Amino acid sequence: MKKFLSFLLVITLLMTTMLAGCGQKSPSSSANQGNSSNANSSTNTTTDLTLWTFVGLHAQMYNAAAKRWNETYPNQKINLKVVTYPYEDMHNKLLVALQSGVGVPDIADVELGRFPQFLKGTPQLADLTDLVAQDKDKYIESRLELYSKDGKLYGLPTHGGAVMAFYNKDILDKAGIDPSTIKTWDDFIAAGKIVKEKTGKPMLAVSQTAMWEFNTMIGQQGSDYFDQDGNVILDNDTNIKTLQFLHDMIYKDQIAVIPPGGQPDTTQAYGWIDKGNVAAVVMPFWFMSRFVSYMKDLKGKIIVEPAPIWKDENKYPTVGQGGTGTVVPSAGKHVDIAKKFLAFAKETKEANLEIWNTLGFDPPRWDVWPQLATDPGDNQYTQYFVNGKDIFKILYDSTKGNIVSLRSTQLSVTANDLMANQVLYKVLKANSATAEQALKAAANELRKDKNSGQ
Amino acid sequence: MGKRKNFLTDILYTPKWAPYFFVLPFLITFLLFFLYPFINAFVMSFENIIGPNQVEFVGFQNYKSLLNYHFYTALWNSTRYTFWTLLILIPFPLILAVLLNSEKLIGKKFFRAALFIPILTSAVVAGIVFSLIFGDPQLSPANSFIKIFGMAPKTWLRDVNVAMFLLVLLATWRWTGVNIVYFLSGLQSIPKDLYESAEIDGAGTFSKFLYITIPLLKPVIIYVLTISIFGGFAMFTESYIFWGTHSPQDSGLTIVAYLYQQAFENGNLGLGCAIGVVLLAIVLIINIIQLRFFGLYKKEEV
Amino acid sequence: MESHASNIGSKEKYNDSSYKNNLFARNIIGRFFIVAFFVVLSIIALFPLYYLIVSSFKPADQLFTTGLDATINLKVMNLKNYISLFGSQGGLYLSWYKNSLIITILGTILTLLLSSMVGYGLAVYQFRGRNLIFTLVLFIMMVPMEMLLLPMYKLMVSLNLLNTYWGVILPGVVSPTAVFFFRQYAAGLSKDFMDAARIDGCTEFGIFWRVMAPLMIPAFGAMTILVALGNWNNFLWPLIVMRTDQMFTLPVGLMSLLTPYESNYSVLLSGSVLSILPIVIIYLINQEAFMSGLTVGGIKG
Repeated sequence: MKKFLSFLLVITLLMTTMLAGCGQKSPSSSANQGNSSNANSSTNTTTDLTLWTFVGLHAQMYNAAAKRWNETYPNQKINLKVVTYPYEDMHNKLLVALQSGVGVPDIADVELGRFPQFLKGTPQLADLTDLVAQDKDKYIESRLELYSKDGKLYGLPTHGGAVMAFYNKDILDKAGIDPSTIKTWDDFIAAGKIVKEKTGKPMLAVSQTAMWEFNTMIGQQGSDYFDQDGNVILDNDTNIKTLQFLHDMIYKDQIAVIPPGGQPDTTQAYGWIDKGNVAAVVMPFWFMSRFVSYMKDLKGKIIVEPAPIWKDENKYPTVGQGGTGTVVPSAGKHVDIAKKFLAFAKETKEANLEIWNTLGFDPPRWDVWPQLATDPGDNQYTQYFVNGKDIFKILYDSTKGNIVSLRSTQLSVTANDLMANQVLYKVLKANSATAEQALKAAANELRKDKNSGQ
Repeated sequence: MGKRKNFLTDILYTPKWAPYFFVLPFLITFLLFFLYPFINAFVMSFENIIGPNQVEFVGFQNYKSLLNYHFYTALWNSTRYTFWTLLILIPFPLILAVLLNSEKLIGKKFFRAALFIPILTSAVVAGIVFSLIFGDPQLSPANSFIKIFGMAPKTWLRDVNVAMFLLVLLATWRWTGVNIVYFLSGLQSIPKDLYESAEIDGAGTFSKFLYITIPLLKPVIIYVLTISIFGGFAMFTESYIFWGTHSPQDSGLTIVAYLYQQAFENGNLGLGCAIGVVLLAIVLIINIIQLRFFGLYKKEEV
Repeated sequence: MESHASNIGSKEKYNDSSYKNNLFARNIIGRFFIVAFFVVLSIIALFPLYYLIVSSFKPADQLFTTGLDATINLKVMNLKNYISLFGSQGGLYLSWYKNSLIITILGTILTLLLSSMVGYGLAVYQFRGRNLIFTLVLFIMMVPMEMLLLPMYKLMVSLNLLNTYWGVILPGVVSPTAVFFFRQYAAGLSKDFMDAARIDGCTEFGIFWRVMAPLMIPAFGAMTILVALGNWNNFLWPLIVMRTDQMFTLPVGLMSLLTPYESNYSVLLSGSVLSILPIVIIYLINQEAFMSGLTVGGIKG
């Protein structure tokens, strides 16, 4: 009996703590809200803004912007709270919050691959079209389209992601090749054969678990996975020819290999590239930061050049790949000020210069490129590359901001999975299907998915 | 008054009412934290969820769209994985537990702790270490190892033929120690005098294992078997450690990985719930058959 | 098999000394092999942890440039990763630790108490609805968490439990795996004591608490470590429930430091080492208290 009483006591204690636990919550949460509203009405009118991102460096950029904001607008101060979550989890958390309409952040970074799902139906995101209205022609147009639906912009781009060629100077010197003479993919293959002969090393690392090179090549020719109406064109002639071209680079010309880890931007590949196992990678602009962080032995040995183009039928000098769109959930408490801050942090010319300085990205507003071409400043990126000072000169001269991106649709996640794990796996890795067979199969599956109304 | 007191004493003293008191915490949490969300999710499996107020009823559409080769592959992978883990992760830890339970073994405390360590390692860290061990370079530990046997280096993580092997290997590494803990605790409840009297009757190590340990450990073995079936079909972490959410030719795709892809990457929560319901049905049927087979629903037999 | 056993027995009964010596020698060799076998297993099991610890003292970029290099090289090893862990997010890191400890301790005690009651109730009593309840326990165990995420989140919103410890603890407070395990364990115990206790006038709960629970100590031991481990490592649910970084648990906080887009691996490795420590300690204490004690004392049936 005594034992039982003591048990009851424990249970009641637990119950009371539980109740206390539940009870505590409401006052504290309302206190928090109270704080912000109190603060709003009182002297400084400070607004609490929450921002979710999955990149620690972005957090630095936003925090710096918040500091500048508070100096610029002392009457409308913000208290920015940036929370960094892991990639997968931030998107899942955002999805759950948006779906239930409760607990959304004021601002959030959304990665390109995850963006389409947030555009489903009527997006739960604020329309950002007005933020870029007067600067629209200064943006890489395709970057804005990625985050738009029905003519409305829902995400501000972070970078252009322009694909460039990165050559290992040591290897090319040994083969006696000047990378600035490589203009077309044919030149590239010719040079690759010499490199292979003289050094025994492959010219190019070709992704199999990602589509960096394939997308670059088809994008340059104006092709895509989907047409402007969203129809599947993955198995068109250009794509088949291009995939065959990649296949031949590996198996016929034998100047390309799949890097360890399956793509150049993996931990395994970093060490491999760093040890000088490949003469070139053709990757988006942001790959520069991987060089700087992970491939320290190659410092002073990497030359940046424009990506090779096609001799005939080339439509675009290069392709923009990867990306992060910053959104303002419409269920947020301070949508207006969040939008205003976002414009301040990412849209203005000054903000775009800051994107280069803190993140090392090619700013999505190409009108800052000429300025960066003449004065790129002095940072770890300009120091790392042989021609680090000329990066923006090369980028601007070769593209003039005319950069295409492949379309992002509701089927993109599935399409990317099929491309990496079925098509490229079979054609480039296992060599078990022809380019045509593999692309046709994938395209047909996508058409079926589209018809079933996904 | 008197009647009330009787009722109270009834609850406390008679085996007729007391069990309801014992299971009460479960019933409360079940109703509050499970039944409601589950019904919610079940309803969602018949819906196309676009946004908070944009939901359309689509009947069996979500279930119908599961008839595709990705889902079949996921089913097949999960089934094979469950089969292999059952085959390895029950006998192997059981034998290890018996050895570790012997009073004669030197350093058994250390061994117990060592074998338990892997489950403590987070998925991210395990992912880094294992991707280096099974790295593509010719000198990666795995490739150096198979070289001893004269085998050519492999690109382990991008080879559809070794995917299942890798998954089962990782599962063995992670879960052996946990199952040992279950079995060890079960071994403690076996009275020592049973062994002693068997020894007097001249039983050898093997027959003691077969005729005393196994039968008396049966409830714990059934437990491990049941949660292994469940764990096998619900596996996602092991696959995620190696490949993230997508693997070559779906070689690492499991049912829950497919659920994750559809619900979170494609933002198709309704379809995700449908996959969850199908998974539940499969595991429930298998487990109920298995539990009936072991007579778990009958009181006398356990 | 039985005949084989009796064979050995009959030989032993003859007390053949040369056979006994032979057996003794075989035992020694056998035991040596068993120990050697366990040494190999332990090395395999411990290697990743060893690698993690060694790497956590090295510059993070070495992880990729030198591949799998687990050598201890005091020249390149230093405490930088640990300092940066406390430096950048110092205060936060401690509050993550605190949150994890609170959730783990509270959650584990409650789970053990309630789950053992339920499991015990299901095992020793025959009552109407028993099979149904047991099936429900199994049912919960089988529903993938990913599927319930959105409805559970909505529930937490309506219960006003977002960003609270209880929001993390309560949904898991009756763990189906623990219930099932306790049920199985209790089912294997002899019921003779119960009747004796009833005659002594114990309440049914008294029987559980005073007589049967002590017999289930090894089960409590196993479950303490596994439930604590589950609570400590729980990632997905705290991530969804907790909204401010002061309320994060250690795994969530650590993961928030790691993004694939920069070299934060230094913090990840040192942080992982520190996050494993408490569980290792719990395990070791637990092993002392529950396992070893019992092997000596044993349970007399």
